[in-house]
Amino acid sequence: MNDAITVRNLKKEFKAYSSRSGLKGAFRDLLTRNYKIVPAVNNISFQVKQGEMVGYIGENGAGKSTTIKMLTGILTPTTGEVIVNGMNPHKDREKFVSTIGVVFGQRSQLWWDIAVQESFRLLKKVYKVSDEQYDSHMAHVIRTLDIEPLLDKPVRKLSLGQRMRCELAAALIHNPPLLFLDEPTIGLDVLVKLKIREFLKEINEKYNTTILLTTHDLSDIEALCERVVMLDEGKIIYDGALKSLKEKWGEGKEIEFQFLEDVTLNDLNRITASSEVKWEKDEKEAIFTAFAEDNDELISLLIAKVVADLKVKDINIKETSTEEIIRNIYDRGIS
Amino acid sequence: MFYIAIFFQYVAQYMKTRMQYRADLFVEIFSDLLFQAVNLIFILVVFGHTELLGGWTRDEIIFIYGFFLVPYALFSSFFNIWDFNERYIVKGELDRILTRPIHSLFQIVLERMELESLFGAVTGIAVMIYAGNSLGLGITWTDPFLFFLFVIGGMLVYGGIFVLIACISFWADARTSIMPMMYNIGNYGRYPVDIYNSVIRFVLTWVLPFAFVGVYPASYFLGKEEWFLYSFLTPVIGIVFFGISILTWNSGVKRYRGAGN
Ligand SMILES: Nc1ncnc2c1ncn2[C@@H]1O[C@H](COP(=O)(O)OP(=O)(O)O)[C@@H](O)[C@H]1O
Ligand SMILES: [Mg+2]
Repeated sequence: MNDAITVRNLKKEFKAYSSRSGLKGAFRDLLTRNYKIVPAVNNISFQVKQGEMVGYIGENGAGKSTTIKMLTGILTPTTGEVIVNGMNPHKDREKFVSTIGVVFGQRSQLWWDIAVQESFRLLKKVYKVSDEQYDSHMAHVIRTLDIEPLLDKPVRKLSLGQRMRCELAAALIHNPPLLFLDEPTIGLDVLVKLKIREFLKEINEKYNTTILLTTHDLSDIEALCERVVMLDEGKIIYDGALKSLKEKWGEGKEIEFQFLEDVTLNDLNRITASSEVKWEKDEKEAIFTAFAEDNDELISLLIAKVVADLKVKDINIKETSTEEIIRNIYDRGIS
Repeated sequence: MFYIAIFFQYVAQYMKTRMQYRADLFVEIFSDLLFQAVNLIFILVVFGHTELLGGWTRDEIIFIYGFFLVPYALFSSFFNIWDFNERYIVKGELDRILTRPIHSLFQIVLERMELESLFGAVTGIAVMIYAGNSLGLGITWTDPFLFFLFVIGGMLVYGGIFVLIACISFWADARTSIMPMMYNIGNYGRYPVDIYNSVIRFVLTWVLPFAFVGVYPASYFLGKEEWFLYSFLTPVIGIVFFGISILTWNSGVKRYRGAGN
C-alpha cells in the first residue's frame, strides 16, 4: 500500500521580531529589527498510509497547524522533505491541492455572503467535478451531515456547528483521498461533535480516505484514531498506537469494590497478598479501590480472589483516561 | 479555457449576489458617476483658462482624461488589491486561497472584483466622444482595435504596478502599506507627461509607467506623431510589467508565513 504522506526531517523556522523601547529604539527598528529564529516545527519525520486516521496532538503552540500548513502547500518548509499523494506540495501547487481536502476550524473556507449551495456550486466548478460525480457523492454527504435545510442560507447566518458541517462538506466536494482537519471540533457542542465523528468514520470506511486530524479534544482522537502522533515544542515525542500509549503511560487500572459485608483493608491485603496490588479505602462511601498494573491476567486473578472470599455488591474497572496520560507525559516529559 | 469558464462563473455569482442588494448597487453606481463628474469638473477648472499647456490644448487634455478612465475602470474592477496586506497577509486569508486549485492571484482578482467600477469606462468613452468632437477627430476602421489593445495594455500596466506593490507584503513585515500613495502617483498618468520635468517623465515612462495608461496611448488618437512610438509600446509595456509582477508574485507566495497567533 502506498504512503499518503511522507515527511522527512521537516523543519520550519519563523522569525520572531521584537521591538526596542523608546523613540530611539523605534527609529532603530526602522532600519534593522531585532529578531530571533524560532523553530515551530523542528526536524520531524513520519509516514501515513493510505486509509489511516491519525490524530496529531500537542499543546497550544506545539507546531500542529504549522505542520498541516506545510503538508497542504500553504507554507514552504525551511528544510526537509514532504511528499503528499506522491507530490511535492510546493511544486505544482494547483495540481496538488485538487487531491486533498482541508478544513481549518478557526477559519472559514466558504464565501461569507453567499448561500451555502452557491459556494458548493462554485467549488464544484473550481475542482472540475462532473455533475454525476457531484450528485452521487454529495447527496450522501449532505444527508449524513444533515445540512439540507442550511443550503439556501448565507454562511454568515449559520451557527458555528452548522457552519462546520458545511465546511466539512465543502472540503469533500471533489472527494479527495486525503483530508486534513485542523481543530475541526473546536467550540462545538457534543451532538455536533458526535455527528462529525460519525461522518468521518463513515467516509474513511467507504472511500478509504486518509485523515490527519489535530484537536484539543482527546475524545475525538479516542473515537477515531488508532494512531497518534504527539508533538511538543516542534518535536515528535510519541508516534504509535493510542493503545500502547495507554499501556506504557497509563497508571495501571483501578478496580473499585463495594461489599455486602464489613471489610477492612487488612482483609483485602491478606486475600491478595500474592499479587502486586495496593488498596485504598474511601471512608465515606465504603468503596475500596485496588490499584494494579494494566494486565488482564493479573486483574482477572485479583477479582477472582476477592470474589471467592467476600460478598461483592459492585465492581467497577476504571482506566486512566487518555487526558490524564497526556497530562502526565507533558508534566514529566517522555524518557 | 478553464480560467475563462471560471471567470464567468464568478461573474454570474457576483451579479446574483449584487442583485440581492439592489438598493446598495444603485447608491454605488450613483456615487461612482458623481465621483467621475467631480473629476471632470476639476479638469475643466484647472485647464479652463489655459488654452495651451506644454503644447496641449484643453480639449486634448480632456480627451486624454477620458481615455485614462477606460483602462482605469478595468483596473479598479479587477485589481481591488489595495488592502491585500491587511486582508490576505495579516489576517491569513491567503491560507484559504492557497488550498484551491487556481492560481492564487487569479483567485484574488475573482473574489475581489467590483464590476460597478466598469461604469467608469462608459463615462470615459463619453468624455472622449465629447472632446473628440470638439477637436474634429475622425475614426478609422483600425481605431477600435487599437483602442482595445491600448486599453488592455494600460490596464495591465496599472495592474502590474499594483501587484508588484502588493508583493512587498511578502518580503517586508510592515503592517501598513504604501498603496494609498501609489493611487495618487497613478493619477499623474492622466495628464500630459511633457508638462512635468524630465526626471518625472522618465519615472512615469520607465519606472512606474503610469504614462502608458493615459497620455501615450491617447496621443495616438490625437494624432501626435512625436509620441506614436510610445503609443505602440503600450501593450508591450503592459505585458512586460504584468509578466514581471506575476513572476514576483509567484516567488513571493513561497515566502508567505501565514498569520501567526
Ligand atoms: N506566521 C507566524 N509567524 C511567527 N510565528 C509563528 C507563525 N505561525 C506560527 N508561529 C509560531 O510557531 C509556533 C507553532 O504554532 P502553531 O503551529 O500554530 O501551533 P499549534 O497549532 O500546535 O497550536 C508557535 O510558537 C507560534 O507562535
Ligand atoms: Mg493550531
